[in-house]
Amino acid sequence: MPTPSIEVDHLTKRYGQRPVVRDMSFVVNPGEVYALVGPNGAGKTTVIRLVAGLAFPSEGSVRMLGANPHQEPAVRRKLGAVVEAPAAFYPYLTGRGNLRLHGRLAGGVPEERVDEVLDMMELGNAAERRVGVYSLGMRQRLGVAAAMLTRPEVLILDEPASGMDPLSLHLVHSVLREAAANGTAVLLSTHHLDEVVAYCTRVAIMEEGALIDEVNLLDRRERYRVGVDRPHDARALLDTQPWIRHAAVRGEEVVFIPAEAGVIGRVSAALAEAGIAVFELTRDIFDLRGYYGERVSNERSRRSGAWSPDDPRMTGEREGEA
Amino acid sequence: MELGKVARLASVRFSAVLLILFPILWAYAPGIFNVYGFYLVSAYQVPALSLLSSMQFLLPLLVAITSAELLGMELSNGTLPTVLLRPVSRSQWLLAKLLVASVYPFAVLALFFVVSLLAGAPYGYGSFVGGTGLGQAGLLGQGTMPAAHALREVAGAYVVAAYSLVPVSLLGVLFTVVFMNAAGGALATLSVLIFMQLLVVFPGLTPYLLTTQLNAYAKPVANMGWVAALIALYCAAFAAVSVVLFERKDF
Repeated sequence: MPTPSIEVDHLTKRYGQRPVVRDMSFVVNPGEVYALVGPNGAGKTTVIRLVAGLAFPSEGSVRMLGANPHQEPAVRRKLGAVVEAPAAFYPYLTGRGNLRLHGRLAGGVPEERVDEVLDMMELGNAAERRVGVYSLGMRQRLGVAAAMLTRPEVLILDEPASGMDPLSLHLVHSVLREAAANGTAVLLSTHHLDEVVAYCTRVAIMEEGALIDEVNLLDRRERYRVGVDRPHDARALLDTQPWIRHAAVRGEEVVFIPAEAGVIGRVSAALAEAGIAVFELTRDIFDLRGYYGERVSNERSRRSGAWSPDDPRMTGEREGEA
Repeated sequence: MELGKVARLASVRFSAVLLILFPILWAYAPGIFNVYGFYLVSAYQVPALSLLSSMQFLLPLLVAITSAELLGMELSNGTLPTVLLRPVSRSQWLLAKLLVASVYPFAVLALFFVVSLLAGAPYGYGSFVGGTGLGQAGLLGQGTMPAAHALREVAGAYVVAAYSLVPVSLLGVLFTVVFMNAAGGALATLSVLIFMQLLVVFPGLTPYLLTTQLNAYAKPVANMGWVAALIALYCAAFAAVSVVLFERKDF
């Protein structure tokens, strides 16, 4: 197991008596894109600021690359972050001027790298313009450029997609995906659930400052469903196969995760051999929007006292079953 | 890097305009005799008049506004968190700001001095009968004042005045750290200065008040050691409290 890039352990933040983050724990490993989602006021930005070392925890701890970012500011050499939406810059400096300033604060960055990140974020033509005249989307892209300036090992982004047009959004997704592919750990907060499903590894659902669920999207992306006449027999059969990592019944279907690529053909063959009729075999597209809505409303019901302890969605069985 | 940002502050440009206008207007103001009871006879008296007229309120106000804006600008631009995410310690960064805030009164007084001296050009830069207004004999003087002596006297007073404004500047930074906005920082600084001026009703306290030190430029040189130490103590205290509070702030 690699050392986690970010370790959040029982993190709590209170302003006065009011907790805004409650006992949150999670880790982000190198190469992962970890998303925080939740309604407005759920505490996402506070978590981002706590992890980045801008705010102090009331309880619990944050470690970045094994170090406490408050006590060891040098660890921030390996951090790239955008914690303001829109990203904040000196309006009287040009885009290039602002990046140079960031480079100096980071201990020096070659001019070629400044050109590289400007081109990467398609801001080469606007590099000599003052940031004061940049659009919201351009500022956001410049923010990502500044965060990428030092080839960080950890990227922390608060609402990176805020105010972006679809093309810019796609560009930022590609850049973050590529950074993760090169081993950078990415922690971001967002309201765009589609972007989360598209490229995040795991997603944490927050409500009222608490982490109410964490979903592994890699597993979800690799998930298939097969409609059969005898779902329980099908699940029992698939569960014993070494090339199936996990199988579970969901209504009249069996949902399964293959242990290796290219085994889908074997599934229908094995089921047919056991005399189980297969009606449909397809990829199980995860409906994060629906799942998120359910989890948040269930959490709200639970807090208001309307929650039933038998509700399987609240006991974690859902994740295990399907 | 921090010095470069100062020139772009709106309050610095505003102060520069006032500091240029003020001596020019005062040098030719028709009511000078009615208010101060003397006529200007030398260019060296204009800097003294500028200082005497502005040290109690205008200069502390201008210095407090700019020192508050030094940090307030980062807050209003939203750049403070961005800067703090870089591998620079908070105290290091704030100390750079405090250093700029300490240098700023000297820059303000240097400009004020030069403009005042130039504004007095029609009165001439030669020796004159009378005083600069800053020596022991005031504006009337004790016979003929050599030009070099007058220049030395006025320049020395400006250096002392600038030094006595440094704690005001640092107080502006301290209150901006507390309130996390420039207006709050500047107004709190002014409130404290006004409050201190009212404390003259406690004679035992008066020699130690920051506002008393703002008149140090007119004091005999022999008393400067004590005054300099007290001002340094104020500076150290304001800077230390700023750093401690800033280290624990949530952004």
